[in-house]
Amino acid sequence: MNVGQIESMSQTGPSQDSQFEQAVVLHGAALERLARAYEADQEARRDLLQEIHIALWRSLKSFDNRCSLRTWVYRVAHNTAASHVAQRMRLKRQVFVGIEELLFLPDRVGSEEAAGQDDALIRVYELIHQLKPLDRQVMLAYLEGMDAASTAEITGLSAGNVATKIHRIKHVLKSRFQAQRSEQGGAR
Amino acid sequence: MSDESSQDRRMKQLWQSQPTEGVRMSVEQIQAAAGKFQRRIHWRNLREYVTAVFLVVFFSYEFFRGGDLLVRTGFGLMIAGIFYLIWHLLSKGSWRPLPADAGLSSCIDFQRRQLVQQRDLVSSVWRWYLGPLLPGMAVLLVAFWHANPGHVKYPSLVVLPEAIFFAVISVAVAKLNESAARRLQRQIDELDEASRDI
Repeated sequence: MNVGQIESMSQTGPSQDSQFEQAVVLHGAALERLARAYEADQEARRDLLQEIHIALWRSLKSFDNRCSLRTWVYRVAHNTAASHVAQRMRLKRQVFVGIEELLFLPDRVGSEEAAGQDDALIRVYELIHQLKPLDRQVMLAYLEGMDAASTAEITGLSAGNVATKIHRIKHVLKSRFQAQRSEQGGAR
Repeated sequence: MSDESSQDRRMKQLWQSQPTEGVRMSVEQIQAAAGKFQRRIHWRNLREYVTAVFLVVFFSYEFFRGGDLLVRTGFGLMIAGIFYLIWHLLSKGSWRPLPADAGLSSCIDFQRRQLVQQRDLVSSVWRWYLGPLLPGMAVLLVAFWHANPGHVKYPSLVVLPEAIFFAVISVAVAKLNESAARRLQRQIDELDEASRDI
């Protein structure tokens, strides 16, 4: 046995299966939210989530700790989901917009639809579903509480670009939810 | 604390505390699902092979039936064209699962690679879809022209509409693909723009 073989044996980390189980325990809920952010249809969402789990399990064979497990999980999940969205775009000719364009789009959630306890969440999903994949990835990272550096590592954007996009996201959210509050205030 | 940061916190809390179904797939379930996925790809590829075999058998039959050298050359070229087309579809255009090293690529790199692959596929449609079939069709049209001088008074009047029909279809397919390639290029440019530091 040569030195390289001994080194590679000693570097062998936890198995693919146990890493997958660890990833699902740690990030399973976030993956569900991610699938929901990419796919509004419940049935298609289940398929997408299953697709993400399979892609993640397959990918963990190549996981070599060059990045954190979290970064790896999110990259695989976003890449799988973005492929799913791209396929749907081709089939349905769906058009997505950038964060900056969201400000000029009307709020598509009706007040009756958003009248329940989850109205804010419905509005957030409605915004996310209109976004281009890259902007969607930044928004999801922001909502999951990631910092700009982690978001940059996952998306491949520069930290400066991530900061700009997050600034715009906050602006969009603020304007949408302020408008909602003033509507509700006016209705009372 | 500013109003904006409290809104930030509220929004993140709202997002992260939303109820989830707690979907958990065991490794055995994943392996079973991955196997099913793989079988679906095999079936899809098999369908493409069967179509190719059917066309090749049909053209081969015509190849051996036709006595004229020009006709045989035409059908021979059609068979070669179909082989090339199917090889291209299976090696470059077929649906494949996400690469196992998808976690190594950032989202921009991954999306860019996919878009470039699709753009190259649609922009080279002449080379791999229309081009390989055109020589066979052209030779067959000429063969028809030569073979029917006695039966038809003006064979060019029979051949010409067919030639025009093929030309129109080819140009329409090429135009549609050109437009799709331009759309994909715009998306690639957007990603390049986004990946540039500001």
